[in-house]
Amino acid sequence: MDDIGNLLNRPRLYYNIDGLVELGGSVMCLGFALFLWLRMHSSADSVWHRASVFGFAGLIFLVPYGVKAVKTRITYPRTGFVEYRKRWHTPAIGGVTGALVTAGVWIALRRRWDISMLGSLTGLAFAASYAYHFASAVRWKWVIVGAIAAASFVIAFLPADVLGALGSHLPVAHPDKLGGAILLSLMVYGTMLLVSGGISLWLYLRNTQAPAQEGQ
Amino acid sequence: MNQQIRMIADLDRVIHEPGRLMIVALLFAVERADFLYLLHETSMNKGTLSSHIARLEEAGYVAVTKTYRGKVPQTLLCLTGAGRNAFEQYRRKLKQAL
Repeated sequence: MDDIGNLLNRPRLYYNIDGLVELGGSVMCLGFALFLWLRMHSSADSVWHRASVFGFAGLIFLVPYGVKAVKTRITYPRTGFVEYRKRWHTPAIGGVTGALVTAGVWIALRRRWDISMLGSLTGLAFAASYAYHFASAVRWKWVIVGAIAAASFVIAFLPADVLGALGSHLPVAHPDKLGGAILLSLMVYGTMLLVSGGISLWLYLRNTQAPAQEGQ
Repeated sequence: MNQQIRMIADLDRVIHEPGRLMIVALLFAVERADFLYLLHETSMNKGTLSSHIARLEEAGYVAVTKTYRGKVPQTLLCLTGAGRNAFEQYRRKLKQAL
């Protein structure tokens, strides 16, 4: 029975066999960091300030298509194509969680609460999600889980003036700490995903054969 | 004990064969997958995999679609409703028998 359970789990592990999902996440994190930095360090009427909004939206829509396009060229011809089952509860849980977090942040900003620890809490949630989706399939990625969790704690306890150098101009309570923590978190997580995804892609390309021109 | 043995004898022979069990279990977890993916995951050779797929198709458990990925032929496979039911029933019976 355990063997059947393992087989049923294999398609889930195949999802990031090439590291491209992590690389997509990395582009998203580093892109968000760039546009957030632009938004924080440009005046409200500048082109960069307005363009950053389109940048966020563009990343959200384009990265999944980009990952799929690269998979079509690299992964599917080498180790095969898989279309996953669409489950109704996955987008529902994501939507409800997103709505609750957005509502929480909005209330906290309105009441001027100190939410500078939010970046670190998000980091811990991110570490847990990474462990479930990626590290459960590949043992060495537990190092990345540890690094993400450690980075979250370090960012949480960094002095305000260090974070303030990064994130100013946010119109909220304790703006320097919050903006700096978000920006630094995005950069650190993006870099970790880049390294981890890059290693996975390199190993995948090394261990799989280039596609044959003949049909299956 | 006799009942347990009878339950094992009642198991679906089409699915019970290890090679076909692998194919059905892999397809159960996805919407559809191509021949190359199954070849990669099961480590069977093309001939063996083809014959198992043909047997499952004959039983009505797997639907096979021939298409193209660019200029390269692609064989897509998915479990039918009957295949899903048969696999669920097989797992239930196996659990009871063990």
